[in-house]
Amino acid sequence: MGKAAAVKTPQLSMGKRKAEKKKRDWHSITFQALFLLPALAFLIIFMYYPIIETFRTSLYQTTGFGPARFIGFQNYARLFASEEFRTGFVNVLAWAFWSVVIQIPLAFYIAFTLVVYKTRITGFLRAVYYLASVMPSAITAMLGRFIFAPTFGVISSLANRLEWKWLASIDFLGNPNIAFWSLFAMATWAYTGFSIVYFMANIEQIPMEIRESAQLDGANLWQYARYIAIPMVAYPIRIIAIISTVGSLKLFDLPWLITGGGPVYATTTLAIILYKQGFVNWQYGRAAAVGVIIFLLSLIFTIAQFSFQRKSGELD
Amino acid sequence: MNHYAATEAYSRKLRSSRRWTLAIKIINIVILIILALAVVLPILLPWFFVFKTRLEFSYSPWSLPTQIRWTNFQEAWVAIKIGQGLLNTLWVCLGAIAGTVPAAAMAGYIFARYRSKVTEVLFYAVLVGYFIPVHMVLIPLYQFSSRVGLADTLPGLFLPMAAFGIPFWTIIYRSFFRGLPGELAEAARIDGAGHTGTFFRIMLPLANPATVLAVLLVFIGAWSDYLLSLILINNPNLFTMQLRIAQFLNQYGTDHMPRYAAASVIAAAPTLLLYIFGHRWIIRGTLAGALKG
Amino acid sequence: MLRKRIWVTLFLLVALLTWVLVPVSAKKVKLTVWGRDLPDDDPAHAYIKALVEGFKAKNPDIELEYVALGDPGLMDKTKVVMASNTGLPDIFQSWGGSVMGGYADAGRLLDLTKELKDIPGSAAARQAMTWKGKIYGVAPFFAIAGIFANEDLFKAHGLEIPKTVAELEKVCDTFLAKGIQPIAVGARDKWPVLALYMYLTNRYGGYEAFGNAQARKARFDSEPFVKAALKYQEWAKKGYFGEKPLSEAYGDAQQLMATGKAAMHITGSWMCAQYSDPGFTDQTIGFYAFPILEGGKGKATDIMGMTDIGFAATRAARKKKDAVVRFMKYAMDPEPCSAEPGRICSVPGVKSPSRLNAMASAVFATAETVQFWWDQDLPPMVTSPLNDTMQNFFLPDADVKKALTQYEQLVEDNIGPVK
Repeated sequence: MGKAAAVKTPQLSMGKRKAEKKKRDWHSITFQALFLLPALAFLIIFMYYPIIETFRTSLYQTTGFGPARFIGFQNYARLFASEEFRTGFVNVLAWAFWSVVIQIPLAFYIAFTLVVYKTRITGFLRAVYYLASVMPSAITAMLGRFIFAPTFGVISSLANRLEWKWLASIDFLGNPNIAFWSLFAMATWAYTGFSIVYFMANIEQIPMEIRESAQLDGANLWQYARYIAIPMVAYPIRIIAIISTVGSLKLFDLPWLITGGGPVYATTTLAIILYKQGFVNWQYGRAAAVGVIIFLLSLIFTIAQFSFQRKSGELD
Repeated sequence: MNHYAATEAYSRKLRSSRRWTLAIKIINIVILIILALAVVLPILLPWFFVFKTRLEFSYSPWSLPTQIRWTNFQEAWVAIKIGQGLLNTLWVCLGAIAGTVPAAAMAGYIFARYRSKVTEVLFYAVLVGYFIPVHMVLIPLYQFSSRVGLADTLPGLFLPMAAFGIPFWTIIYRSFFRGLPGELAEAARIDGAGHTGTFFRIMLPLANPATVLAVLLVFIGAWSDYLLSLILINNPNLFTMQLRIAQFLNQYGTDHMPRYAAASVIAAAPTLLLYIFGHRWIIRGTLAGALKG
Repeated sequence: MLRKRIWVTLFLLVALLTWVLVPVSAKKVKLTVWGRDLPDDDPAHAYIKALVEGFKAKNPDIELEYVALGDPGLMDKTKVVMASNTGLPDIFQSWGGSVMGGYADAGRLLDLTKELKDIPGSAAARQAMTWKGKIYGVAPFFAIAGIFANEDLFKAHGLEIPKTVAELEKVCDTFLAKGIQPIAVGARDKWPVLALYMYLTNRYGGYEAFGNAQARKARFDSEPFVKAALKYQEWAKKGYFGEKPLSEAYGDAQQLMATGKAAMHITGSWMCAQYSDPGFTDQTIGFYAFPILEGGKGKATDIMGMTDIGFAATRAARKKKDAVVRFMKYAMDPEPCSAEPGRICSVPGVKSPSRLNAMASAVFATAETVQFWWDQDLPPMVTSPLNDTMQNFFLPDADVKKALTQYEQLVEDNIGPVK
């Protein structure tokens, strides 16, 4: 639809077009510069200095105050040699993978069904799914602990009341194999809201005529979703995939507040390691190296997503 | 005969398919309701604690309160100094919205509609802000803010907050503007509207769903911020709500869970209420967008 | 046009807000103090409240600004301002030891040796706030680690407070058989694991065990450390710490003690206030020294201790030294200290406020040697890895010796190999 039209220029005669092009380009460039200025100014003032500083610091051994010693890439070497970092590295990649594979389809399913079925119930439900995302993460984490805690947690209390031994015996946060999934469940609860609202807004943008003609064709829901809705919101899905991936790489609040990255390193993340190195262990240079790694991974994933998209011909 | 049988078969098929459609609809809606309950029920958990004493909470955290006591709320209310905290937080939220939304909308528009090698590179230049984990910038940001005299002021808090928000919302605006039909913009252009006019009169109104979403979520995000506020604000008179809530915490969470739960309820209530009223705009906004498209 | 105006207004708003900088004009000397707890009516905050209010009342010429930042807010914010060397408070709540030492080495702290050396107080507390021979602050309260025991439960099951580790094991087995969790830890938070581990290591290897490893005369995977870890793991496997010790946070551990679901809690004496507060628990809880190990080198009079509440001054206060010293002296004054319902006061002449506190103070009085809590004593680079390592004790399949060897390697990287 609009995508093709966006790059189409109005039909004008060749001569006129050339003449106008010069004049209009000048206008256009000023306009573009003016419109980009605020965003770039904010970033240049507040973000670029810290980013550059991070790259520089990552080559030093320093507590963050006092003397700094240049050590080249040793911080990186030490990180990759440590078990904690390798675990955290694998964890965030797994987290990114599962959030794309589980959270995005779930969000799409909810958004799609809400848009397709316009009843009083769904109208009311629309408002509900984002509620969890309104909570500050400290409260979300507190709720997570209430739910999964042993003895006093909701699940434990309930299981004991009902005498479901199998459920009462599950150690949701203390078993290294289960803790990841307990956290993932909380994160799905807390972070899927945005994707749902965003998908909903995009699915609503699909023109009515297309939806109606699809129904006239006798296409059932599955086919409508598969052949019309998903291709039409393919770009927003990509955007959400990028946001989820980068978000996973930076993940901190919930694992830190609920399990502290434990047991041992089972649920640690790169951002937790960054925090611990920088603020607890006083290895500020090493923390900066983790920051650089998160930065580079984010950049790689994002470029890969956008260029994959260009290859598949969606862009132009 | 034959003809009759065929019609009968067809109408039977139609009926069964209608029944089938209805069944799928009901199943889907039931799933939606279950998921909605899964979202809402955890939010209600703190209400089990807020009316209890510490001892009641320790013995039976999940029983219904035997007596409605408001003391936890009173104590939390006093400790949070809600009046001042609320006002500071409100300023920060408004500042963050004013800093984030216009800048992101304009940048997103350029990146969606004026595509060239240069804008593509600049897009990444904006995007990199999204790749930086917040803990990494705390020390350099604080140093910078102190040097320019922004540390320990409310603008010193919401301006960096906006810098953190702009990359994300630029991505969202970019994708929104890309999804809008370009014919309208072209038509306006031919009608003699300049670049600015096209943006403000045609494109921005079309992106209303994104703007409503951005305003609401930037507000909620600024409201919930803890870390930047902690680092960038020293003066307790400028403390925001989340900083006051965090005062209840010590190394083992909290001494007094019922009171902390009450404080959390107080702190989360404004955003929850705002959202409950605000979501109407989102729905209206998205519907309006659909109708125009 | 209307829309345009709205956007323009938004811009103006931002510009306006940016220029609303608050000019502060101070007439009185202003003293900024960063602390952890709110000065409110919570019994655990009684001292802070008395300190802040009393100091304000007694020093009308000083404007005291006490800022409660919580935990980890206090630590994170302190670290950032110390690193930036700007916006430092005059005084901050500090646990002394190596963290304070790091700040002192970087030149961020104010040397108060001359002013504070004659304030009466316990030697251990003064030692905690001293770094490389210089005193940077005061520690009005000093905590020791020991066993909080639910005396009602002990009586109900005809048990005596254990005097040896073997007796302790018997007590645990009895409680376990009765369906009571013998020991509450709170291993989810990692640091609570340390109290018992320090004592076990001490009881196996004696007072020198840790000192030698720290001074790099012995390895952290040497015999006492490994034996203590294996004992710890053995107990965890038997279920002494409950079925899900790694999910249990420190707050959960307190709740288990408060409701009589757990019989013992091995931790710092800072819990005296809560455990003697009838609003927090209806159980009778006592405080006892950690038992001795028959055949081991450690003595019952080797006590683990750390600063409970302490304050240190920064260089930002160098021009108002007088006000700072007045604050420090008042912090060590019997008047605010008497308001504290539980912690062990380092100031002589302050009466024990409760039975539980008297018990803890009595244990402290027997101390012949005080070993500082390891995570206060070791440099910051190796403290959180130690806490991570200790969680292995609760995993039945973990190779604790290997975990300690890995920790030793980390210590070698940061402090140096064993000489």
